[in-house]
Amino acid sequence: MLKTNLLIALRSLWKNKAITAINIVGLSLGMACFSLLMLHVNDEFSFDRFHVNKERIYRVYRHILPYNGKEASSDPYLPMPLGPAMQADFPDVLNYVRLCDWGEQYVRSARLLAKPRVLYADARFLTVLAFPLLYGDPQTALSDPNSVVLTEQAALDYFGEQNPTGKTLEIKVADVFEPFVVSGVVRNPPPNSSIRFDFLASFERHAASKYGKRGVNNWNRSAYFTLVELKPGSGLASDSARLQQFYNKYHPGETEEARSAGQWAGAGDPTNYRLQALTDWHTQPEIGGGAVAPVNPKYGWILLGLGGLVLLIACINFTTLSIGRSAGRAREVGVRKVIGARRGQLAAQFLTESLLLSGISMLLAFVLAKTFLPALNELTDKQLRFDFQLYPELGWMLTGLTLLTGLLAGIYPALVQSGFRPLEALRSKIRLSGSGLFTKSLVTFQFVLSVGLIACTLIMLRQLHFLQQKNPGFNKENVLIVDASDADTRRIYPLFKAALAANPAVEGVGASELSLGADAGWSRSGFEYEGQHKEVFEYFIDPDYMTVLNMDLLSGRPFDYAVSADTTQSVIINEAMMHDFGWTPASAPGQVLKGYSESGKKDPVVIGVVRDFNFLSLHKEVKPMMFHMFNGYQPYQFFVRLRPGDLSEGIAAIEKNWLAIEPDLPFRYHFLDDNLARFYKTEARWSTITGYAGGLAVMLAALGLFGLAALAAQKRTKEIGIRKVLGASVAGITRLLAGDFLRLVLLAIVLATPVAWYLMQLWLADFAYRIEISWWTFAVAGLMAIAIAFLTVSFQSIRAALADPVRSLRSE
Amino acid sequence: MIEFKDIERYYDAGAVKSYVLRYASARIGEGEFVSIMGPSGAGKSTLLHILGMLDEPTAGEYWFLGEPVHKFNERRRTELYQQYIGFVFQAYHLIDDLTVYENLETPLLYKKVPSAERKSRIADLLDRFNMVAKKDLFPSQLSGGQQQLVGVARALIGRPKLILADEPTGNLQSPQAREIMDIFRQLNRDEGVTIIQVTHSDTNARYGSRILHLLDGKVERDEKI
Ligand SMILES: Nc1ncnc2c1ncn2[C@@H]1O[C@H](COP(=O)(O)OP(=O)(O)O)[C@@H](O)[C@H]1O
Ligand SMILES: [Mg+2]
Repeated sequence: MLKTNLLIALRSLWKNKAITAINIVGLSLGMACFSLLMLHVNDEFSFDRFHVNKERIYRVYRHILPYNGKEASSDPYLPMPLGPAMQADFPDVLNYVRLCDWGEQYVRSARLLAKPRVLYADARFLTVLAFPLLYGDPQTALSDPNSVVLTEQAALDYFGEQNPTGKTLEIKVADVFEPFVVSGVVRNPPPNSSIRFDFLASFERHAASKYGKRGVNNWNRSAYFTLVELKPGSGLASDSARLQQFYNKYHPGETEEARSAGQWAGAGDPTNYRLQALTDWHTQPEIGGGAVAPVNPKYGWILLGLGGLVLLIACINFTTLSIGRSAGRAREVGVRKVIGARRGQLAAQFLTESLLLSGISMLLAFVLAKTFLPALNELTDKQLRFDFQLYPELGWMLTGLTLLTGLLAGIYPALVQSGFRPLEALRSKIRLSGSGLFTKSLVTFQFVLSVGLIACTLIMLRQLHFLQQKNPGFNKENVLIVDASDADTRRIYPLFKAALAANPAVEGVGASELSLGADAGWSRSGFEYEGQHKEVFEYFIDPDYMTVLNMDLLSGRPFDYAVSADTTQSVIINEAMMHDFGWTPASAPGQVLKGYSESGKKDPVVIGVVRDFNFLSLHKEVKPMMFHMFNGYQPYQFFVRLRPGDLSEGIAAIEKNWLAIEPDLPFRYHFLDDNLARFYKTEARWSTITGYAGGLAVMLAALGLFGLAALAAQKRTKEIGIRKVLGASVAGITRLLAGDFLRLVLLAIVLATPVAWYLMQLWLADFAYRIEISWWTFAVAGLMAIAIAFLTVSFQSIRAALADPVRSLRSE
Repeated sequence: MIEFKDIERYYDAGAVKSYVLRYASARIGEGEFVSIMGPSGAGKSTLLHILGMLDEPTAGEYWFLGEPVHKFNERRRTELYQQYIGFVFQAYHLIDDLTVYENLETPLLYKKVPSAERKSRIADLLDRFNMVAKKDLFPSQLSGGQQQLVGVARALIGRPKLILADEPTGNLQSPQAREIMDIFRQLNRDEGVTIIQVTHSDTNARYGSRILHLLDGKVERDEKI
């Protein structure tokens, strides 16, 4: 039966080549799009699942309930003694592994000096987690404080093809290169690992270092991830009472202190340790931390949903086209029923056809997906591959996708056609009443999605444009930020500044401890001012910083090298802080920030007010902020304003200046406007994805319309012939045929507008600074859809209208 | 074998019911060869479809091999039909996309007859109807008479006890018509297959042993030959 059904399906597909081609193109595009998004989302959801004991391994984090006017928060950076204490106090804790991610460090061998990622980890790292060694003994490889384990890639980079075990290399620890002995080579961590490293060093080594020493037995210095392996069947992960007891034992008196200070009035304790399943690390951004930014799973589902919608549009094409020509197959159905076919057997025959089609389309889709994968990777900053070893679930997912697509596309036509009553079918009396409405609803739905997605894309692009155009309160053009965070900047900054003063490409140089823009980091202090808790962002700068960035001073004066009190006593505040403290531009200068005491400064004096500028992304209002002049902090970031013109020459000149002063360190820089644009990387990504989805949706919907218009013209050949003989014009006939479809598109625009409007309001609500959605966006999206629909439909209609009427009448 | 009592069938023509059959009754025994005759529009095809369980009467009783078909649901009717009945149409109603062989095989596939048996049954029939050379041709490549031969062969492939034929030779010239009727007679005589045919031709009717004359929705006359 299956063989026969396949044969019949093949013949039927072959006989209707045009429709088959439309379906294969549509389905394979839809499936390719869905497969790509599925690959991406599956990768996100597959993170850290390769660990053999994954259901027993947890990451400890600190959870703080809403408290003292702050929202609830979680923090995975924990004190050094936590791991050993947990193992000692809880019999369920079999092992702990502490991780100290020191980020990128200079490492050199005779062959190479580079900046790979060095991770300090307890020796059990290699036995508790699934990072298998190629060389070396997992039990002992990290036991010696001087040992280091390289990934395959790092081994290749630093030592070439040979086995590097026993060789030495140097890692720059606190400004000095120190020797380490290679004790093993580990397989490269898979791309879906939250724990990332090129080099593994012993945690003990870190604990003995200058920075590490401060953390030993110190419960108040939180800088380390702690993983614990529990005994099978342990309920510790959900036993908050035991964890609370533990927390209170090692952080005694915290709750009482908060309570007596009036900050905490709740029944229990505000802070506790909690356990996060290792496999949730990547999908709980609220806890955060780690080398790979965790993602909100909601966005994974949204992406899949988007892919699903595009696929649905392609499936609908199959459905409407099948229904459109089912009258032509009615006689066959009638005959089959009369010779004994049951409804189920007929439905199976039709489904075989749609499944065969989805199978063929899947093959093509796979090729398409592989072709477009590099583009997706570029968009998402990943290196995904259709790798069935890395993602064993991919096989059944793609099979499932094929089956699902075939069923989704074919089920309705199969049910309708197999339900024809045999006598009516034989008499060709099938007049698909109701299905006309059904087909129309589906076509409308396709265009609702298409118009909606295009409108959303347009709105997102306008908002992005607005973010880019908005004046941030400083001049972001032509500013180069030189990253000097590895250098001894106290020494080189004056030299660099003097060198650049003689450089004709440079207009000015300022410095700051922190960069500006995405990933710049921030620091914030909290203090009690006149009985009120205040939170203020802080930037440490030199006096030239504000000039270089063209910031406006509303009142008061800038920092002055000549005034020695400026480094110890003065601050410049922003407007938001001025308002927060209830001052005016006139009253602010001279105010004393009583209660502030940080980094050697006590009760500083306001000397000026700077006009609000967006130091955070435009998602947020400008928050209270103040500038300090450098004292203890270092000018790690040099802000260089270039003269307008050929920037590459200026950069080359600055690089020369840099290398003359600091020949050991590479010249690293960013443009300020790029840094700011990176705030909206996610949004830019989403607008691109929505744009692609919208484009694909329109294309698929138009493809379906093309087929439907062809069928409609075919069905009405005789009518068209008669009309032409009676003197109807080509334009008139085109209008007759196209009008039906265009009405549906118009309806779709009306339906899509409020939905897209609502969704985009939600999206825009995330921005403190945003555009108003204007009606013309929808008009443009609608016009695009109408234009495309009109082109496809009228192509068919004109062809029908131009056909020789005598011939079409005679053939009837 | 067949007994129908007071069969009624009407169509809704707007507000009024238009009766095609009303108070139609008859009995047909196993092994009979019956012709149904009557003017065009008398309801011959309708009656045949009801007997063949492709249509339902709006009232009346229909007993087939002692079973009350009028009380059966569609599923049980299909089962009975699959097992006992073969249909032959004036317009042949072969499946254009299938070869002669496949057209014959399809009913067996629906009945889930095993492959070896399918092969031998089809080979027998092709042989019997001298169609072996034509088995890989498509219906459009055959003459009308050959197509109807395939139609008859297809009706026989399921080894039915009852053949229902609606003007089986209506589209054929007389030599071809004679061939079909000869096959019917042989089936009836040699294999005891019951045959009910609708026909306009007295010659054809004479192949049978009995004629039911249909008029005004009733069996107006039951003529033995
Ligand atoms: N589906 C239908 N709807 C309405 N009237 C029908 C339908 N099928 C048949 N009829 C009517 O029933 C009458 C009998 O039809 P039929 O049984 O085919 O007659 P016959 O085969 O004797 O020529 C005809 O008048 C025909 O118009
Ligand atoms: Mg008739």
